Amino acid sequence: MKLITHNMLTSKCLKGVMTGYPLAINATDIKVTEVDFNPEFITRVIPKLDWEVLWAAANSIGHGEGLPKTLEPKFEENEDLLKKVHKVLLEVEVEEGNLTCPESGRQFPISKGIPNMLLTEAEVQ
Amino acid sequence: MDEEKKTERKRKRFAARLKSSKGITCSEVPGPNIVLCNAGQATGLDKDAVFDLIKEHGLNIPLPKFIAEKGESHSFLVFDSTENAQLFYNICNGKAKADENGTPLYLNFVEEVPNTEIICPHENPKGLLFLNDFISEEEEKQFIKLFDWNSDSNNLKNRQVRHFGYEFRYGSNDVDLNNPLIEKIPEECDVLWKRLKEQGLDVGVPDQLTVNKYSPGQGIPSHVDKHSPFGDTILSVSLGSNVVMDWKHHSGKYVPTIVQARSLLVMQDEARYDWQHGIQPRNWDPVIENRVENSRNIKVITSDTVPRDTRISLTFRWTRRGPCECKYKTLCDSAEKVSADNLEDALASNLEELHVHQVYEQIAGHFSTTRHKPWPKVVQFMERVSPGSVVMDLGCGNGKNILKRDDIVQIAGERSSGLLAECKEHIRDISRADCVRLDLLNATLKDEAADIVICIAVIHHFSSRARRLQSISTIYRLLRKGGSALITVWAKDQTKSNYLCKSKQDQQNENLAETQVTVGGVNLPVHENRTQFKHQDLLVPWKLRKVSDKKLANSPDNTLLRYYHVFEENELDELCKEANFTIEDSFYEEGNWCVVCKKK
Repeated sequence: MKLITHNMLTSKCLKGVMTGYPLAINATDIKVTEVDFNPEFITRVIPKLDWEVLWAAANSIGHGEGLPKTLEPKFEENEDLLKKVHKVLLEVEVEEGNLTCPESGRQFPISKGIPNMLLTEAEVQ
Repeated sequence: MDEEKKTERKRKRFAARLKSSKGITCSEVPGPNIVLCNAGQATGLDKDAVFDLIKEHGLNIPLPKFIAEKGESHSFLVFDSTENAQLFYNICNGKAKADENGTPLYLNFVEEVPNTEIICPHENPKGLLFLNDFISEEEEKQFIKLFDWNSDSNNLKNRQVRHFGYEFRYGSNDVDLNNPLIEKIPEECDVLWKRLKEQGLDVGVPDQLTVNKYSPGQGIPSHVDKHSPFGDTILSVSLGSNVVMDWKHHSGKYVPTIVQARSLLVMQDEARYDWQHGIQPRNWDPVIENRVENSRNIKVITSDTVPRDTRISLTFRWTRRGPCECKYKTLCDSAEKVSADNLEDALASNLEELHVHQVYEQIAGHFSTTRHKPWPKVVQFMERVSPGSVVMDLGCGNGKNILKRDDIVQIAGERSSGLLAECKEHIRDISRADCVRLDLLNATLKDEAADIVICIAVIHHFSSRARRLQSISTIYRLLRKGGSALITVWAKDQTKSNYLCKSKQDQQNENLAETQVTVGGVNLPVHENRTQFKHQDLLVPWKLRKVSDKKLANSPDNTLLRYYHVFEENELDELCKEANFTIEDSFYEEGNWCVVCKKK
């Protein structure tokens, strides 16, 4: 699971859960693979992210170094920053671990890099 | 060039080709097994032609076993000895004709021949009784004399037929009780029930008889004798030829049985009410052997065959009035049917679990080998997605629609873990794609997170309208304002696609009865693959083939049933509009209805 995916995952479907976002990450195995850097791509994707959630997620798995808590207005001109975002969004992957719903505590296992977000019929609203 | 050298060169080329494309190892050392390199089931070669070759050349040897696998243009012969195989080889290799055009036939020795035997693991249907040699040869002659005819009376396409007592009406599969025939069941038949009673089975006296005359090559489609017009027992006397009758149960069980000439077949109980029976249209029947394996009696359908002769069957029935009162509801015309259209959610969910989710888990690997190319229209749509977009492929399957683009985010969501594992492998080199296991109805993704959603061949697996609408509403929820979606579903009308197979379609038109399966009280018809859809809610068979395990290759146990709701024209458009979408494009493509819609 990449952090860009984590940025979009929610457990809001659970019965009794209001927002279910962001999910807490508990990673037992993290993989870092080099990926070609494409600054235009990162520049286009950043506005679509919940920045604070990305920042917190990156820090929670020990890859937040150098990421500012708030995004500067002209981030696209800061190549250093774009490279850091590139790394946490695309190069860092949680291979094993789990995600936890912030309200209900329901855990979703991550195995072989794939988070299992399936819910039973009884769990959904 | 020297003819012999040419033949030798060709023979070796065939050996090399068989090795590389089929994995068949030919041998330069003679043995009892021979492969016919360029003649097989696919080239129209049959056992007759092979045996004619042997007779033509005046070979006085025991006939070999002939093994021709379906769809192959080679076949095998197993002789009783190397010596006889060598004789055949010497006479035929490069000299005999492989087809009508006179192409020479090439032969090679092989060490191994495929095992095309199929083990039938199931018992005969309950209530099915074979009384072999029930009548004597003399009686058989008398019956044939009594019932045979040469005129083309009531020529059904596949066989000839006569009726006594009441006429069997093929449109409604019943009789008109108010219109009895003048011709009653001949009294010569009375000996049958008398004898049956002597043997301890008192079934009374039937009042309706149908006589069928089957020439070799003719058969009867799988059917159950309609429940309500007829009683608990059906008798069938066979004259003139043995035949293999196939029995199919809606649970997927399949049992072939030999019906011998001069036998009486008694159908009661499950065999009468809960199984379908039929005879395949062919000139030969497989030889079925009973063997003992691990001290268990098993039935083996061998690759050997026996020819059919003209067979006359006498089917005796007892007419009855009122609705059928049997306890077998699946095939019963009197049982109440539940329509699959407005299923309660729990029922729908159960149906999808059994006939969608579980099936995909089982077929994931096999499915993936048959679905590796994305559809051109999907590729076209995906290629036009603007850089920096977040794309969600919901129900992504094995990920074949994830493009190798490095300027967009692609999130692949899928419910089947088997397919998702394939997808993960597929996107390994696509660094901006990622996989999530999720269910479209309760997609654990944030509102308005996607610029683009594609949902290809997914929504036809939801079994109620409410659930289909919910799935499209989910897509709407996930899209940002201005975002768009491509949704495709299987169309009921397959006439403008490659899906239909002409010969199968013709066969289907003749088929009188269709199989139905009950899932949690819902009756669903089982679709005949490659034919036009007759219903909107149905089960589509998926045949698993295991190359590694030949014995199971054709076993009907490996047929899985997938639930589909096939869409009428505009049905998808209506659902999209109901979910607040604006339709931008709507078209029919290769048997699918496709909609491009926008969240405004």
